[in-house]
Amino acid sequence: MKGWSRVYAVASNTWREALRNRAFIGLMIVAVGFLFFSLALAELAVRGEAARVVLDFGYFAISLFGVVIAIVMGVILVYKEIEKKTIFTIIPKPIHRHEFLLGKYLGMVVVLVIEVVVMASVWALVLWARSAPLGMDTVMGVILILLEIMVIASVALLFSSFSSPVLSGIFTFGIFILGRLSYLVGDMLVSTKGVFVNNPSLRPLGEAYVAVFPDLSVFNVSQDLLQGVSIPLDYVIASGGYALSYIVAFMAIAMLLFQRRDFI
Amino acid sequence: MTIEDTSKSCVLELHDLHKKFSVGLRMKKVEAVRGVSLAVKSGEVFGFLGPNGAGKTTTIKMAMGLIRPSRGSLQLFGGPPDRLEARARIGYLPEHPYFYDYLKPTEILDFYARLFGIPRAERKRRIGELLEKVGLGHVQNRTLRKFSKGMLQRVGIAQALINDPDLLVLDEPLSGLDPIGRKEVRDLLVELRRAGKTIFFSSHILSDIEMLCDKVAIVHQGRIQSIGRMDDLLNSEQMSTEITFRGPDSLVNQLSSGGVEVDVLGDYMRIRLEGTTTEVLKTLLAGGAQIDSVVPKRESLEDLFVRGVVQAKDSEEAS
Repeated sequence: MKGWSRVYAVASNTWREALRNRAFIGLMIVAVGFLFFSLALAELAVRGEAARVVLDFGYFAISLFGVVIAIVMGVILVYKEIEKKTIFTIIPKPIHRHEFLLGKYLGMVVVLVIEVVVMASVWALVLWARSAPLGMDTVMGVILILLEIMVIASVALLFSSFSSPVLSGIFTFGIFILGRLSYLVGDMLVSTKGVFVNNPSLRPLGEAYVAVFPDLSVFNVSQDLLQGVSIPLDYVIASGGYALSYIVAFMAIAMLLFQRRDFI
Repeated sequence: MTIEDTSKSCVLELHDLHKKFSVGLRMKKVEAVRGVSLAVKSGEVFGFLGPNGAGKTTTIKMAMGLIRPSRGSLQLFGGPPDRLEARARIGYLPEHPYFYDYLKPTEILDFYARLFGIPRAERKRRIGELLEKVGLGHVQNRTLRKFSKGMLQRVGIAQALINDPDLLVLDEPLSGLDPIGRKEVRDLLVELRRAGKTIFFSSHILSDIEMLCDKVAIVHQGRIQSIGRMDDLLNSEQMSTEITFRGPDSLVNQLSSGGVEVDVLGDYMRIRLEGTTTEVLKTLLAGGAQIDSVVPKRESLEDLFVRGVVQAKDSEEAS
C-alpha cells in the first residue's frame, strides 16, 4: 500500500501542476470555444444536416484536443523534471524510479480525463441544443477517445524518458499517424491482391508493422455515431483491454530506460 | 586510496568509485571521478572539499542514486544504496536546488513528506516547525516562483530535514546565501551535529569546512588527495612566527641587510619568520621597536589544500 501512496503523491502533484498551468487552462478554453464554433458551422449546413455537423465536429474536436494535450503534456512531463532539476530531490527519497514514472503517467491520465469530461459535457450541451442523437453510444464514443489518448500519452511518456520534447513530439505524432493507418496495412495483409501479393518479400515488414504499432482506428467510431450504429459495451471493454496491453508495454519500456538513466 | 574505516557504525561507504561520461558528438570519454573511497561514521561531520569541477557533486550524486557508478561500489547504512529503508534515513540537499515553482513552501514540503509516508498530522506539525527553523515562517503562502535564491536554499534545507534523517548529505549548503543566511545555516548544522546527526557536506569554501567538520576529504581532479581527521591532517607543529611591531625606519634597513624581509603596513611593520625568533626580537628591542604581537602560525586547511593540489599537479606533470 505504501508504494501506491507514493505513486499517488507524484500523480496528485502532476495534475495539480497542469491545473495551475495557464497554458493548459488557455488550451481548455480554446477547446471549449471550438465546440461552440460547431454551432455556427451548423447554421451553414444544408437543411437537416445541422445535427450531423455538430456530432461529427464535436467528436473530432474532443479527439484532436485530447491527442494534442496528451502529446504536449507527455513529451514535457519527465523531460521538464530533468531539465529543471526538480528530479534531484525526488530520486534520493524512498521511492522507486518506476513508481515515480507511474505516478507521472497516472497524473497525466487524470488531467486527460478532466479535459475529456469537460469537453464531452459541452459537446452534450451542443448536441442537445441541435437535437442531435445523444445517448449511451455517445458516451461509449467518448470513452473510446479517452482510451486512444491514454495510449498516445504512454507513447509520449516513453519518448520523454530518454529524448528531447521536440523529438519526442515528432516520434509520438508519427506513431499516432502510423497507428491510425494500421488497419489499412492489416486489410492489405488479408487481401488476395495488392502490394503484399505482388511483393511477398514485403509481407514480414507489413506483419511487423501491424504487430508493433497499436491499431488506433479501433478507438475511432465517429462514422458509427454518424450512421447511428450501436457501440456495444463488449466492444468498449475489449478495446479497453487492447489499450491497456499497449499502455503496459510502452510503460514497461519507459521504466526500463528510466531505470538506467543518469541524472547529471 | 583505501577505505579509512570500515567499522559497523559506518553510515556511508564509498569504495573505489569511478564515473566516466561521454561528452560531445564524438562521445569522448571524460572520467569525472577516479577511484574515490571514503567512510563516514555515525555522528561525524564529514567535509568533502575540492575546487569547482573536482568531482564532488558527481560523487554525491552517485551516493544518492542519481548517477550510476562506472565502477566501484557503495553502501548506505551497511547495505545496498537503493534500499528504500536506507533512503528513508537520508536527507539530501542538491547544489542549487530547484523545486516545483507553482507550489507554496507548505505544499512542496507536504509532497516530500508524503514520499516518506509520514502521517498527515505529523506532516503538518513538522512542516510548521521546519519553516520556522529555516526562517521561512513568514512566507508560507507565497509560491516558490517568487522566492529568491537564498530562500530556495532554505526550502532545500527544510526538505532535507523533513524525515528527521540520520544522515544529511548536503552539496554546497552555504552557497547562494548572504552572510546572515550563511551564519544561520552554519548554526543549524552545529545544532544538528549536537543532536547526533551524521553530516556529509561538500564545499569549496575552506573556512566552512574548517569551522564545522571533524573529518575532511580533499578531492582534486576526481581523486582524493588527503583524507582523515582534521587534527591529524593539519600539521600541528609550528610552521612560522609572525611579528608585528612599530619602530624607526632604520630598523627596516637593518633587518633587510640581515636577510629578514619586512612588510611595511602604514605605521606597522610585519615579519614572518621560519625557525628561531630570538635574534630578531633582540635586534628589534635594541633598535627601539615597540612589539605589538608575536603569533605562532600553524598549517591551515588552506595550506593543506594548496599543498595537495600542487602535489597532484607535480605528480601529473612527472607522469
